Amino acid sequence: MTGTGGEVRLVDARLHLLSRQVLDVDGEPVRTVDDLELAGPDGGEVTAGQEVHVSAILVGPVLATRLFGGRVPDGRLPRIAWDDVGHVGTAIELTVPSDRLDADWVEGWVRDRLIARVPGGRHDPEAGG
Amino acid sequence: MKKLLGVALGVLTAIGGFVDIGDLVTNAVVGSRFGMSLAWVVVLGVVGIVLFASMAGRVAAVSGRATFEIIRERLGPRAAGANLLASFAINLLTLTAEVGGIALALHLASSVEPRLWIPVAALAVWLVLWRVKFQIMENVAGLMGLLLVGFAVALFQLGPDWGELLRQAVPPSPPGTEHPASYWYYAVALFGAAMTPYEVFFFSSGAVEERWTRKDLGTNRLNVLLGFPLGGMLSLSIAACAAVVLLPAGVEVSSLSQIVLPVAQAGGVLLLALVILGIVAATFGAALETALSSGYTLAQYLGWSWGKFRRPARAARFHLTMIVALLLAIGILMTSVDPVAVTEMSVVFSAVALPLTYVPILVVANDPEYMGEHVNGRVVNALGTVYLVIVVVAAVAAIPLMIATGAGS
Amino acid sequence: MLPAVLAGTGCVASRQEPGQATAAVADALAQAGSAGETSRITVGLLDEGKITGPVADTALLDQLRVLDDAESALTTLVPPDAASATRRTTGLEAVGEVSDAVVAARAWAAARSGGDLAGADGVPATTDDLLADLASATDATDAALAEAGGP
Repeated sequence: MTGTGGEVRLVDARLHLLSRQVLDVDGEPVRTVDDLELAGPDGGEVTAGQEVHVSAILVGPVLATRLFGGRVPDGRLPRIAWDDVGHVGTAIELTVPSDRLDADWVEGWVRDRLIARVPGGRHDPEAGG
Repeated sequence: MKKLLGVALGVLTAIGGFVDIGDLVTNAVVGSRFGMSLAWVVVLGVVGIVLFASMAGRVAAVSGRATFEIIRERLGPRAAGANLLASFAINLLTLTAEVGGIALALHLASSVEPRLWIPVAALAVWLVLWRVKFQIMENVAGLMGLLLVGFAVALFQLGPDWGELLRQAVPPSPPGTEHPASYWYYAVALFGAAMTPYEVFFFSSGAVEERWTRKDLGTNRLNVLLGFPLGGMLSLSIAACAAVVLLPAGVEVSSLSQIVLPVAQAGGVLLLALVILGIVAATFGAALETALSSGYTLAQYLGWSWGKFRRPARAARFHLTMIVALLLAIGILMTSVDPVAVTEMSVVFSAVALPLTYVPILVVANDPEYMGEHVNGRVVNALGTVYLVIVVVAAVAAIPLMIATGAGS
Repeated sequence: MLPAVLAGTGCVASRQEPGQATAAVADALAQAGSAGETSRITVGLLDEGKITGPVADTALLDQLRVLDDAESALTTLVPPDAASATRRTTGLEAVGEVSDAVVAARAWAAARSGGDLAGADGVPATTDDLLADLASATDATDAALAEAGGP
């Protein structure tokens, strides 16, 4: 994989990608990398012996399958496209704001249906008062 | 000058924030039954918490990543998930004990039944979590917790035979009236109370909340190195007060009202009132920290947005987790369980959970990818390894000792 | 092995072996003695004006709960032999004596903080009477405890 500055940096997917924190372009936490979606060289099916690349970060229900086994139906997996990834460090930084990702609808649901409805839910604690 | 003031404030907050309901109850129970013969455990626990809290603070300041993010990253989702389950449950037990402690202290101040205070206390905790700025919350609770210095004042006013207290403490040996198994059971409980895991979750996440950077490493070290040992002195004076007044009378501490009797005897109503206020502040501060820790651990494992510095709506699931944790604590307490009994359970199970928190921190503090040049030095690693052994021994011994002694009775 | 573990875990459980029955009586008496002493300290402090009414009342109430536990530990005990039966009877009497004294102490504390209890049954006339009652009740538990082979 190419890192910043054009030089090639080796990244071990298991060690440096899985279970890392994903941050959006403003540094806000999005999710943790629960699994990775792999694709063949032409973006199609992965076949043994062929080169593959990471096509997306998977979050959410896929964690349950990693813990307990089984499979989640393909179309249902909340994913963050690898094209949105800017930098891989001790966290994975995206180039888009989290509001533009539909991977994390539960946070939005809890926010809009519960937390934001309680008085003071949008109050900025750092602003004092 | 302003910087010096900031440092002093940090140290004072660390002292006032050190003692919680677990330290209060365990130290008083131990003082009334074993005198000062378990003082060495407090010293051992304080050195341990200094070592690991400064390590967790350093990891957070240098890498910007809090403890549970790293635990998941290092252990993988399965082992970290099991760790989360255990840590979350024990943290919930501690939160329950702290909320119960607030209610008991308010009962002492007012005669109004603790059951009526429990929902009020939990609501007040939630309101502070919802509205108040992190640093104000920390400083006010910590500074008011400093009123527990009243225990040290009381000890001096009691004018004890210092030589006798020292003889009980060194060399440590259980009093003849107590079974050695009970002695070791309380040694483990006291160790668990001093090194409660939530303090590490809270300390590392708090560093992120306060946006610590490498520049704050010196402040971190000073807060911990000065604040925690002085907080440990408060723990010891609680035990000593019980050892001076309650032990000779044959009183076994089983309630908060007994813990404050030596203070009343030494300093009268004024000192008593100050100490009760200090207990309210200390348990309230610890309730805030444990409630936050329940949100921190879950949010960091799953990568949710977290932190009190964000608007609640920008960390929605984090705030929801804390609300649910507080509701669970109210539910447990409303079954009329004795908060003192919950506290005694919580410190023993904290001892069981110690390795779950402390092992990953030691590993990451040695990882150059996270820490760069700030990895552990040789001395810290040597000490860390020694503590790892102690922590594992305490964790393994806790449950068998609890069964063998009937929870210390 | 199993009975030993079970007996070890339950402080308030009924015990069948003579040794265990004696230990249960001793546990209950130690608790009662502790409650009596705590109440005596509390009454003394209240008399000297060193403690607030709410704290004193809470302390006495907490001791009544301890005494309740001690009493139920004794009443649920099934004595395996005549000696333990005697010890239990003596223990119950001693615990009952402490309970009466602590109940009187609460009435006295209430009267002291302005309740109109003058001349009511069970309110001790003077603080000294009350302290003496508490001391003699605690002594009774100590004596019974010595008999049961406690510390």
